[in-house]
Amino acid sequence: MAPEASTSTSHRSVEVLVSKLRRRQVVGSREAALETVKVLRQVVSRAKFSNIDQLVGLIRSIGKRLVDAQPKEHTVGNTVRKILHHIREEYNTATKGTATVGSSSRAVFSIANFVLQGQPRKHTVAQRSEVTTSIRENDPDDPDSFAKTLKPVLMEAIQDVLDELETVYDNVSKNAKDHIHSDEIILTIGHSKTVEAFLKSAAHYHSYTVIVAETSPSYSGHEMARNLSSAGISTFLVPDSSIYAIMSRVNKVILGAHAILANGGMFAITGSLLASSAARVHSVPIVVCAGQFKITPLWNLYHEFGALDFADPSSVLGFEEGVLVEREVEVLNPYYDYVSPEMVDVFITNDGDHPPSSIYRLIKETYDDEDHEL
Amino acid sequence: MIVTTAGTMFELVQALNDGAEQLRKRTANSISLDAGCELFIAFVTLFPHESDSFAGLKTELIKQGRKYAAEALSYREKIAQLALGFIKDDSILTHSYSRVVMKALLHAHKTKRISVYVTEARPRGLGLKTHAVLTAAGIPCTVVLDSAVAYVMDQVDFVLVGSEAVVESGGLINAVGSNQMAIIAKAAHKPFYALAESYKFHRLFPLSQYDLPTHTANILSFPSLPVQGTASSAEVAPTEAHNTSQAEKAIDFPVQRTMTPEQIAQNPDVDYTRPDLISLVFSDVGILTPEGVSQYLVGMFAG
Repeated sequence: MAPEASTSTSHRSVEVLVSKLRRRQVVGSREAALETVKVLRQVVSRAKFSNIDQLVGLIRSIGKRLVDAQPKEHTVGNTVRKILHHIREEYNTATKGTATVGSSSRAVFSIANFVLQGQPRKHTVAQRSEVTTSIRENDPDDPDSFAKTLKPVLMEAIQDVLDELETVYDNVSKNAKDHIHSDEIILTIGHSKTVEAFLKSAAHYHSYTVIVAETSPSYSGHEMARNLSSAGISTFLVPDSSIYAIMSRVNKVILGAHAILANGGMFAITGSLLASSAARVHSVPIVVCAGQFKITPLWNLYHEFGALDFADPSSVLGFEEGVLVEREVEVLNPYYDYVSPEMVDVFITNDGDHPPSSIYRLIKETYDDEDHEL
Repeated sequence: MIVTTAGTMFELVQALNDGAEQLRKRTANSISLDAGCELFIAFVTLFPHESDSFAGLKTELIKQGRKYAAEALSYREKIAQLALGFIKDDSILTHSYSRVVMKALLHAHKTKRISVYVTEARPRGLGLKTHAVLTAAGIPCTVVLDSAVAYVMDQVDFVLVGSEAVVESGGLINAVGSNQMAIIAKAAHKPFYALAESYKFHRLFPLSQYDLPTHTANILSFPSLPVQGTASSAEVAPTEAHNTSQAEKAIDFPVQRTMTPEQIAQNPDVDYTRPDLISLVFSDVGILTPEGVSQYLVGMFAG
């Protein structure tokens, strides 16, 4: 139903991103989110639409294509949903005073809605632009008037999303000094840029020790240890097998996340479940640092077998060992672990600290219900 | 509602409360009825009316009520659709008979290969009704003794139950046996899912089983003993040699090994399952964690 509302150039940028995602040329959840915001910003700036449904429909169809290109990269879908939420919010603020011309945004007050209103109240955005002229939808004389009046506000909203993404590391590490104290021993695994920024920020105020597990088979722990020690933090690099053995000496476990699910569970790099289980046994707090753009409103992704995103098995068992594979040995190299909500104590995000049981509230506030399935 | 001659809001709410009380008296198990009535009464008081006259308001309320009742029938489909995402080719354990669970299972059967264990759910035996419906639809189904739930739990992938009410703590009120099933599921690390339509959200906050409004003094009471001077029947071991002839008086073993209606009446109909035993609640307002349910209830009733 999406009309020809985008020019060929913005279509092109969507195509480029789709193929980049499919070929996994976009590496990292934050990069994927940034690329998505830039593409959508282009689309919205060039889009021609005469009512809000057309714009929403356009963005949803683009969002669906992006998500289908790389379903394991959840931040793409999250960014699309966030932008849709902002668009609807700006639209509602802008049309609040004017008489509605058959728009579907007015909530019909029925018992069903009365039950649904039991949602946490959404933060109302401070009205930035004084709407002196009323917004007319579907105006046959001037089809662009609606788009023209609304676009500046929408561009501002999208810019907000972009700013939030760009300042994720700073915001997450804002309170790092309160979470880590002097002479503590922190355990971390893999190389998460968020955790790295967090640890480096705390190092400005306290001196403490970090134990990094090398996280085979990707050995991303090596990179992390290198970066931390060059920032002046006393770092130990240990093999994964010693995680349980040293856990009794560890004060906190700090992990990064790939995606946070609606139930409070998360996908994180392989080895996170190992570290979390060991920490649980020793009653060590488990802290996860992640930006809010990683919070996905989906529930049961972990049931799919492929959800763990299997990577190249040759790093586990080299191809030269082909004889073993012939003898019915199956080699798997899952890239992610699913960590259930009971394992995590707190999520430190760029918008505050939250326990896993409040994640669903964040989802209600950040995304709209109808966008859960793009 | 239609017949009330109330002329002010206060009288109307009074009339509604009286009506609800009457309905409650008629049924033995009134918890889900309670939930629905409270929801409607809360809606009536919080409804921002734009009508000029009170009669106009009443008509509007009646219209809303009827519309909701019609819509409410579609909730079971919504819930079945939500639950479908969590069902693979699984064995499912369910309890007694619940229309929303039936809908979810039949919906899942269209695209997945499920098999179902259902408990007999004495004394009402509604589990047999579930078995009949599922077998007729071609789903492999076995009836399991209530006492065999722990025995079968390792074979099961997850537990799915319906509900009479979902309470403010996030806990569940359902046919007796659900709490047992939840405890065993937790011990065996199996997910326990509850399906509940949103009109079953209730403002109760039971602190124990005996806080439920359905709990009467009769339930689990000890009957007064017959005045014959014999020891309580449980202890008499007739093989003990040194009993007097009085104690050797014959014990009245029941001929039919089933509980009498009086004995059944001393047992509860529903029980309360704590929120920490429940994994997720599926409702037409979405998938909720037990913590999320209290948020909804506060939002609904506190305006």
